Amino acid sequence: MKIKHIIIVSIAALFVPSACSKDFLDRKPLVGSTEENFYKTPQDAVAAVNAAYAALQFEISPAGHFRWFWGDIMSDDATKGGSGDNDVNALLQLETFKGPVNTDLLESEWTADFEGIYRANVVLTRVPEIEMDVELKKRILAEATFIRAWFNYNLVTMFGGVPKVDHLLAPSEYNLPRSSASEIWAFIEQDLRNAIDGLPLRSQYAAADLGRITRGAAQALLVKTYLWQKKWPEAQTLAEAIIASNEYQLVPIFANIFTVAGENNSESVFEIQYMNASGGNWGKNNANEGTFTNVFQRARGTFGGYGFNIPTDALVAEFFKEGYEDPRLKSTVFRVGDPMGDRGTFTIDATGGFPYKYYAKKYFSNKSEEAPFGDPNPNGESNDRVIRYADVLLMHAEAAYHNGNESAARTSLNKVRARARGNTPSLLPDVTATGTALLDAIYHERRVELALEGHRFFDLVRTGRAQLYLGPDGYLDNVHSLFPIPLSQIQATNGAIKQNPGY
Amino acid sequence: MRKSLYALFLTVLFAAPVWAQKTVHGRVTGADGSPLIGVTVAILGSSRGAATDIDGKFSMENVKADAILQFSYTGYQPKSISPGNETELLVVLEETASVINEVVVVGYGSQKRSNISGAVSTITADEISELPILRPEQALQGRTAGVQVTQNSGSPGSTLTVRVRGTGTINNSDPLYIVDGIPVDGLDFLNANDIESINVLKDAASAAIYGARGANGVVLITTRTGKKNQEGKIRYEAYYGSQSTWKKANLLDAREYAILSNEAHIAAGVKPLPEFSNPDALGKGTNWLDALFTNAPIASHQLAVSGGGEKSTYSLSGNYFNQDGIVGGEKAGFKRYTVRFNGTQSVKKWLNIGTNVGLTSLTRNGLPENNEFSTPLVRALNMDPVTPVRKANGTYAYSRYSDTDITNPINAIEQAHDRWRSNRIVGSVFGEFLLGNGFSVRSTYSVDATFATQDIFYPKFDLSNDPVLSDAPSQEKRLINSVVKNNNTWRNWQWENVLNWQHTFGEAHSVQATFGTTALYNRHEYNGGANTNLPSNNWKDAYISNTIDPITSQSAYGGADESALNSYFGRVNYAYNDRYILSAALRRDGSSRFGINNRYGYFPSLSAAWVMSHEDFWHSDLLNFLKLRASWGQNGNDKIGNYSFTTIVNSGQNYTFGPTQTITNGSVALTAANPDLKWETITQTDFGVDLELLQGRINFTGDYYIKNTSDMLYAAPIPLTAGTEAPVRNVASVRNKGLELALNYRNRDHAFKYSFGGNIAFVNNKVTSLGEGGQPVFAGHVQSSNANVTKTEVGHPIGSYFGYVQEGIFQSREEIASSAFQNEATAPGDIKFKDLNGDKIIDAQDQTYIGNPAPDFTYGLNFDFEYKGFDLGIFLQGSQGNDLYNATVRYDFSYVNRPVHVLKRWTGPGTSNTEPRVNLSDQNQNARVSTRFVENGSYMRVKNVQLGYNLPPVWLKKIKFDKLRLYVSAQNLFTFTQYTGMDPEIGAYNGALDSGIDRGFYPQARTWMGGVQVMF
Repeated sequence: MKIKHIIIVSIAALFVPSACSKDFLDRKPLVGSTEENFYKTPQDAVAAVNAAYAALQFEISPAGHFRWFWGDIMSDDATKGGSGDNDVNALLQLETFKGPVNTDLLESEWTADFEGIYRANVVLTRVPEIEMDVELKKRILAEATFIRAWFNYNLVTMFGGVPKVDHLLAPSEYNLPRSSASEIWAFIEQDLRNAIDGLPLRSQYAAADLGRITRGAAQALLVKTYLWQKKWPEAQTLAEAIIASNEYQLVPIFANIFTVAGENNSESVFEIQYMNASGGNWGKNNANEGTFTNVFQRARGTFGGYGFNIPTDALVAEFFKEGYEDPRLKSTVFRVGDPMGDRGTFTIDATGGFPYKYYAKKYFSNKSEEAPFGDPNPNGESNDRVIRYADVLLMHAEAAYHNGNESAARTSLNKVRARARGNTPSLLPDVTATGTALLDAIYHERRVELALEGHRFFDLVRTGRAQLYLGPDGYLDNVHSLFPIPLSQIQATNGAIKQNPGY
Repeated sequence: MRKSLYALFLTVLFAAPVWAQKTVHGRVTGADGSPLIGVTVAILGSSRGAATDIDGKFSMENVKADAILQFSYTGYQPKSISPGNETELLVVLEETASVINEVVVVGYGSQKRSNISGAVSTITADEISELPILRPEQALQGRTAGVQVTQNSGSPGSTLTVRVRGTGTINNSDPLYIVDGIPVDGLDFLNANDIESINVLKDAASAAIYGARGANGVVLITTRTGKKNQEGKIRYEAYYGSQSTWKKANLLDAREYAILSNEAHIAAGVKPLPEFSNPDALGKGTNWLDALFTNAPIASHQLAVSGGGEKSTYSLSGNYFNQDGIVGGEKAGFKRYTVRFNGTQSVKKWLNIGTNVGLTSLTRNGLPENNEFSTPLVRALNMDPVTPVRKANGTYAYSRYSDTDITNPINAIEQAHDRWRSNRIVGSVFGEFLLGNGFSVRSTYSVDATFATQDIFYPKFDLSNDPVLSDAPSQEKRLINSVVKNNNTWRNWQWENVLNWQHTFGEAHSVQATFGTTALYNRHEYNGGANTNLPSNNWKDAYISNTIDPITSQSAYGGADESALNSYFGRVNYAYNDRYILSAALRRDGSSRFGINNRYGYFPSLSAAWVMSHEDFWHSDLLNFLKLRASWGQNGNDKIGNYSFTTIVNSGQNYTFGPTQTITNGSVALTAANPDLKWETITQTDFGVDLELLQGRINFTGDYYIKNTSDMLYAAPIPLTAGTEAPVRNVASVRNKGLELALNYRNRDHAFKYSFGGNIAFVNNKVTSLGEGGQPVFAGHVQSSNANVTKTEVGHPIGSYFGYVQEGIFQSREEIASSAFQNEATAPGDIKFKDLNGDKIIDAQDQTYIGNPAPDFTYGLNFDFEYKGFDLGIFLQGSQGNDLYNATVRYDFSYVNRPVHVLKRWTGPGTSNTEPRVNLSDQNQNARVSTRFVENGSYMRVKNVQLGYNLPPVWLKKIKFDKLRLYVSAQNLFTFTQYTGMDPEIGAYNGALDSGIDRGFYPQARTWMGGVQVMF
């Protein structure tokens, strides 16, 4: 046989079988819900984004947080409480600014945030390839984008720059180092702008979708994002867009906001949903639709709670700053002698003798509202009111003030005061102050209006007042404006993630 | 020697060129003058040939005087003779003492042993046929240095743990099995009598041609074929044997059991059972092991026909094999029918075609094995001796004392109906194109298809004394029967194209090059169903549709999975003057099992050898062959599951929407997918030496290797940034270092012929990494301690035993008070555990490594003798330095039986410092994982002794037979071990992390048998 033939036969023999090898080797699972065969139908897309929502509810270790742990207990508005110093001792150490760098509290926060980001990234990666209604797909992607921004917002306000996880990480990428805080802020802004484009207005959702992220929520979170970065003009403009949308109205009676009936009310902008009838338990709260906040904040003793988030004298004093008791105090703090809903009257004895004069009231739930079955403790009913319209108005006031637009600032501020005033015209007159007095009035209003809703610590850090108010507790501006990165994560990334300065 | 010189003399004398053609007759004998039957006689350069008959005679017509006749015969040195003027030739063939010229099958080809630069072990058909084996893996045991074979169970047909050069991974360490070029899973379909040879590719360089599948070694099996120009031969081989247990554990009899029961009650402050008030009255009671073990038959019949013409070969065989179990008899029986046809045909001078087809039909009945919950063994070991096997009315009895798992084992066997039937075809067709100039292309298409059904039936039964009261405990009755049917099909095909080129440049430079491609596709489909409450309680009526319940009570399920492999490979062998040998291979494997980011892997290797004895300066008659070898290579392990790169999407990740708070499903994968997932990599360096002394009378092979497994799959913790649970990743590593030595001596010069052989392999296994932040892996759960026995951690061997150290027995309250605190309830007679960290408290920190299931070395020894038709073979095999964990006694139950060593218990100060007191409640946790249960697992086993007799040729001639051999043999005749359990040879049934744990191991049988081999 000629050499030519040998070559032809050889080449044919060797290369014919390997034609189309790419398809030949592409073998995906044939049965079962695996990543390879899920994400095919609109139902799958909805399920995917719902799983991202589920991460919003995470509260207890190993993944989760209470916004009030950081916003209230870390601030001058509340102390830890509980059964004593050893009850969640790490929280005591944190609120007295003694570290520590390796508590499961911070690790849970970190885990919940990144698990939420992962779940949002799954939606953003897998849903685009699903053949489905264009509008629904757009909405789902926008919801996921918001959720990713929300968890990044938690991270950047707590830890500063963090690893920027803008896609599903392959194992080779696990040791991602931290990006700068400004990169994360830019990432959040970008996500929120995209979310705003894709999200329906609150009024455009079907009733069954109540609780889904709205365009207003994304706008409000973006306003907060601007405030953190002192982007006052952008903040004011966007806040005005929310106001102009007419989607939100302040609830006439302040006391009704935190009742069960007040869930998802007309001033609810971003609210994390919880319910008492899912039968969830103490495990990682993936399958739990209830909140632990109710039981954690309720007094101990006959009230059966754990007595956390004890309001301080300083907070109560703030409510008396205008020379009389701000009517909102009654809806914010329990004082000795107050009835605690249908659970009896607040006496020190009834609480088991703990030396706390005050208890937080906004997330109090009545005995009658307890879980109809299962363990009531992990199955609290109360939704977490993350952003209320009052917050939007006060953010608008703050931004307008910094833009020199004091009358616009006063208008928004006074809307909030007017609602708080209720039917007693003598109380809480309209603010007419100017200059720093106006700014102080806005700050005061934020503190009393939004007390014990998880804002105070972050407001103090954001507005540069933390050293002033928290310095006596041990706060140092250059250190404690950020929490320590969980040590376990520095170790897990073999040092690719660096600790915040001062820890 | 003189005769062969004479033959040579004749050859030279008559080698004058004479051109006439004539008929040549001849006779071929061995050195002792006995005729050699079936010697192939071929004329060089023609396709003509002949074979010698029963007298060693042959005849060929039209032979030119200068033609060269080639004589070849297995086991003898080939010889070439030119007849010259002679028409009557006497040819004496010398037996090959030397193995250096034997042909060794390597991946995609074969090579002379002298030219091999890697580490390859060979097991011949003779060695394989010596044992009555069901699975060919059994033939590897003790025969090859560096291949450790351990029985996973003594039940017929059970799998074996085969480790080539140590445990390469915490995952699947099984070698790749290739039968006639076809990769197969499991060898139970293959009839050992059909095997011509087994070659094990041990080093990375030899296995590199199998790339991503070669990491744990490659076992190449070649089945028998006919020979060209060989007269048709019929072989019949049969054996029959009886198997029985060689050792039964000594357990308490009824009297002893009652005495200890009374003591245990008193120790726990409980009133002893009234019926045990007079232990002597109970006598011996029931010996459950006697009741359990039976004598079981083993039998095989093989009929084979083979031969070949000028242009074709054929081999056809049929086999029937049957083996029952010594526990369960037929209920653990294995039955197999096989048919095999191998044939080749030269179609044109440029085309050869051929086929290898094997058909197997097997039935295996299964009993539960290797667990401490439901096996007949663990039940017989733990059932109290007071309970009789049967009640007075003949029905089975139940125990009033034993607990949940421990039920009447004899009844349990009777109620077991679990039958696996499979039909399998493994076959290939090939075409080989001879392109000239040393080029050839071979294209092979093969299929491996298995169709299996499993029939399970759970009958109704009730051991109650009174069926109305139904007094039996729930585990001793089943009030509703049920049936399960499973169907499985495996269909694999492979298409391989291999280009070969062989050329010798000048005299000295010989090159052999191989290039090829493979496409391989595997698919597994299963479906099954179940139903309950059948009207008939006979297993023969157990079909899903035979029910009285509505159709809704049926369940059905099914699914499928698949994988594909596409590869290119090449190898170049170069030899200069047979002195300097170089070989390089590279394989590129693409596999559907690998994540999208790592779909292709490259596996290189290099090896070199220097045959010093072929150098001109070499002048040693003593050391006539010396070769030094070195090799390096990388292989992969692709036994990582078909879809490990993906992940399950978990539902139930819910959220609440809507005014009425509706729980709405959310789904997400909680564990990350790993698109980077790839093979486990083994990088192995091997240094070896092959030598022969005294013209092959002694040969020796030694190898030292370092085998590093990297990229081992392990779910090491990951940074939380990932947002998911840790996926399985290629992060961990293991190192095996070892030394393998094999030595053979043979002397066949006289009527008394003998040979000795031995091999030994040392392996040192150590985990070198579990990835960043990798935590130790705990495995090997045993129920008697309700804890894990093994810990796999960096710096230690895989699956090491980890637990407490028993220091002694507390003799007094004072001793307890002055020792480390164990427990509030610790009392004299309880075990004193060692306070390893000296903190005066016995807690988890006082655990340490207490045993290693991996042996220091394994070995095999064989002795063969022949004298005037008689032959005697003895084969020993053993393992030294390994530990076993004896978890056969269910200490978690109070009322179960115990081994007799419990009689040496502590009963008062000074009575025992090893065996704790008996106590109904074990508050001190004397049964915790500790050195108490770790035993020396070393053993030496006389695996086989065989005595045979070959009828002398004179007699054979009268009955026109070529061969008639009768033999008797015994397997597992003696086992030398200190292990107190029933069998020291305990594999890794549940994987590498669960090795050597005896949970009521099904022991191997001692077999006595006789057999016959006939050829005509």
